[in-house]
Amino acid sequence: MGRILLLALAVAALVTGVLGGLARLGVPLAFAAGAASHGVLMTGGFLGTVISLERAIALGEPAAYAAPLAAGSGALLILLGAREAGLWISLGAPVALAIVSASLLRRQSQAHIALLLVAALAWGVGDALSLAGALPNAVAAWWFAFLVLTIAAERLEMTRLTRRPAIAAPLFHLCVAAVLAGAAASLAWPAAGGVVFGAGLVALAGWLARFDIARRTVATEGFPRYSAAALLAGYAWLAAGGAAWCAMSLAGPAWRDTALHALGLGFVFSMILAHAPVVVPVVARRRMGYTPWMYAPLVLLHASLVVRIAGDAGVSTGRMWGGVLNALAILAFAGTLALALRRRMGQGIRPATTTEEPRR
Amino acid sequence: MAEESAGAAPGLTAFDYSGPPELAPAITAALRRVVDPEMALNIVDLGLVYGVELRRGDAHVRITMTSAACPVAEMIIDDVVEELAGVLGEGAKVDCALVWEPPWAPERMSPRARSAMGWD
Repeated sequence: MGRILLLALAVAALVTGVLGGLARLGVPLAFAAGAASHGVLMTGGFLGTVISLERAIALGEPAAYAAPLAAGSGALLILLGAREAGLWISLGAPVALAIVSASLLRRQSQAHIALLLVAALAWGVGDALSLAGALPNAVAAWWFAFLVLTIAAERLEMTRLTRRPAIAAPLFHLCVAAVLAGAAASLAWPAAGGVVFGAGLVALAGWLARFDIARRTVATEGFPRYSAAALLAGYAWLAAGGAAWCAMSLAGPAWRDTALHALGLGFVFSMILAHAPVVVPVVARRRMGYTPWMYAPLVLLHASLVVRIAGDAGVSTGRMWGGVLNALAILAFAGTLALALRRRMGQGIRPATTTEEPRR
Repeated sequence: MAEESAGAAPGLTAFDYSGPPELAPAITAALRRVVDPEMALNIVDLGLVYGVELRRGDAHVRITMTSAACPVAEMIIDDVVEELAGVLGEGAKVDCALVWEPPWAPERMSPRARSAMGWD
């Protein structure tokens, strides 16, 4: 089945990306290919494949699957040593995703879908800059712009359910503009651009924490509560990552691990933990039951990130052990998902809520 | 609860219903069991159900989504089909079409959904 194969490519990129990351941290793994390509495997290879797979399912057109196929097979080529060819094939993914997003925009003309299109283009810019050998921080800013704006777009859609003050929309646009302007300026003025980018992320975190429905759904129970907890914790890391990005741009590479992983693990992976129990069953065409065990990897992820960042700040081998525990958190989450899929609690994730009829 | 959403004079949050009146409460209750997992609200209260038409025991449903970019539509449609098949019994055909016109808007939410989301 095509979807499962694409998901398998994404998982391969995730596993090798994580192992490559561990090798970078000094864990004795002979895995030079993964270590050299950790960033591209995690962003384009794993997240790019998953995000474009989601969008392809939403559009429902076979051609839309070209995007996850390009992202996943590009990552595979990079792993097999054909880095240049892999990067070129990967570049096709954001192009295809932009076309898919434009088709969705034609179906429904909404701000959040326009932002998904912008995010896809940011991914393409990051890939092109990577091929052109631009400054690593500028490439990373564009790749993170892709991830952060994609997530922000999905959350923006949800905030339509709540009553927002008139100021909310212009504030949101301002945050997005700062993120994009900062990423663009990072090419020519790394310090100033990085500060604007980081400040944009902090502002966006504030906006999401204030206006996201997670603030309401965290008061429900079952899966929506778990998901909201993961979202809110993620927003805290988005703010921390934005601040660390400013510090990295001003004070230098000592802040780099903190900035990239507060964003990549603290924010992006927290969003994955919040969303995967909804999306994985769609991809796998299987039901999934909610289990409170889902909190275990969530807590481990955030706790281990604190350990890692303490290590960044100089606490002996904290960075390496924090990284190992980060990887274990991801593994534990995968295990929880597998168990939840196997449980097949008939009704799937259908929490009892205050707005639902009593079931029996 | 069920009666408020099906009948002759539905408000904005209700859906068009055509079929035997005695089945309306059961149909509405079945659709209320389909919950958007992230929003913690069912699709009737969210205003995602546009219409249900019963003809010769088969059901034709029209629903929308808050976002065209959301992959969960597929699963919600499966849930609708499963729940209505449960009400109509074996042999009944249920088809559920995803439509984008008219576009969903927050005004379509039921009073209690709006209250849960802080509108009132």
